[in-house]
Amino acid sequence: MVVKLYKFGEMLISRPSGREAYLSAKAYLFTGKVGEIEFDFDGVKVLTPSWIDEFVSLLKSEYPSIKVTFRKSDNPTVISSLKMIKPSASSF
Amino acid sequence: MTLVKSDLFRRYNKGRLVYYKLNIKSPLYQALKILMKKNISRNKDLISEGFSWLTKSSPAKISESVYCQTSDIFRARLEFFGNHLEKKVGTDAYLLTAIAGEIGNNSFDHNLGRWPGIPGIYFAYDEEKKIIALADRGQGIYKTISRVVPKVKDDKEALNIAFTKYISGRSPEKRGNGLKFVVENIRNKKWHLSFYSGRARLTINSKGLLEIEDFMRNIKGCFAVIRY
Repeated sequence: MVVKLYKFGEMLISRPSGREAYLSAKAYLFTGKVGEIEFDFDGVKVLTPSWIDEFVSLLKSEYPSIKVTFRKSDNPTVISSLKMIKPSASSF
Repeated sequence: MTLVKSDLFRRYNKGRLVYYKLNIKSPLYQALKILMKKNISRNKDLISEGFSWLTKSSPAKISESVYCQTSDIFRARLEFFGNHLEKKVGTDAYLLTAIAGEIGNNSFDHNLGRWPGIPGIYFAYDEEKKIIALADRGQGIYKTISRVVPKVKDDKEALNIAFTKYISGRSPEKRGNGLKFVVENIRNKKWHLSFYSGRARLTINSKGLLEIEDFMRNIKGCFAVIRY
């Protein structure tokens, strides 16, 4: 499943909004059996490590066997945020 | 006499009061207008204003345009700032928004429900001088870090842990990436950061050098100044 993050907004900044986005995705997107999730950052202007860490950490804690991948992006905030969450996301 | 005839510059007498009237179409009027605007802008020093709000025991009420009482207000202003700045500096605006977002949201995340005094943050920017300032009157870095590292000895060590180690003041929650993100991007872009908390100041200069030193004043809370 591809999750297009721009649908949660162009500026994905705080932990509370990352949590809110995850809960919404869980209710409306992750309804069937989901084995793999690919994040697509097209259309996102600002991503912070807090937002993506909150989303992915909740996802991994509730679906431990799910495989998470990230599409390449040339947005500097996406590149840097993904680099930052790698130490806590080594199992992705 | 010539000036009066051309309606460029007229002198009026009313009792002891003497005043002048300028033709608004004249170059003199335009020059004065620009000069006055510059003076107003120079007087509005957002760093002094932030420090004043932060350090006074009963600070004067600051403008609603720079005071964000809740994270929702901060988020809305930050998005406006990011979109506005994008027109001037392109994609650097995304990084600056993310950096300011991490610092500002940290203030809310670590003080929510336990603000010692005035809740919320000061968030101001000057696009001409290329400065962003954020301040909170919260617990400060030392108090937050000492919850998870009880042996932290002073403000300087607390700042070092906060900005360079993957550890969070909200342990056991797995957090603690935000300020490392700030450091990396300030360095990569050769921008400048000054961050004050307690009696310590952390600076990252345009050569990427990170230094933590004693600061003469006691900042109860945090104050960040980003120059880009």
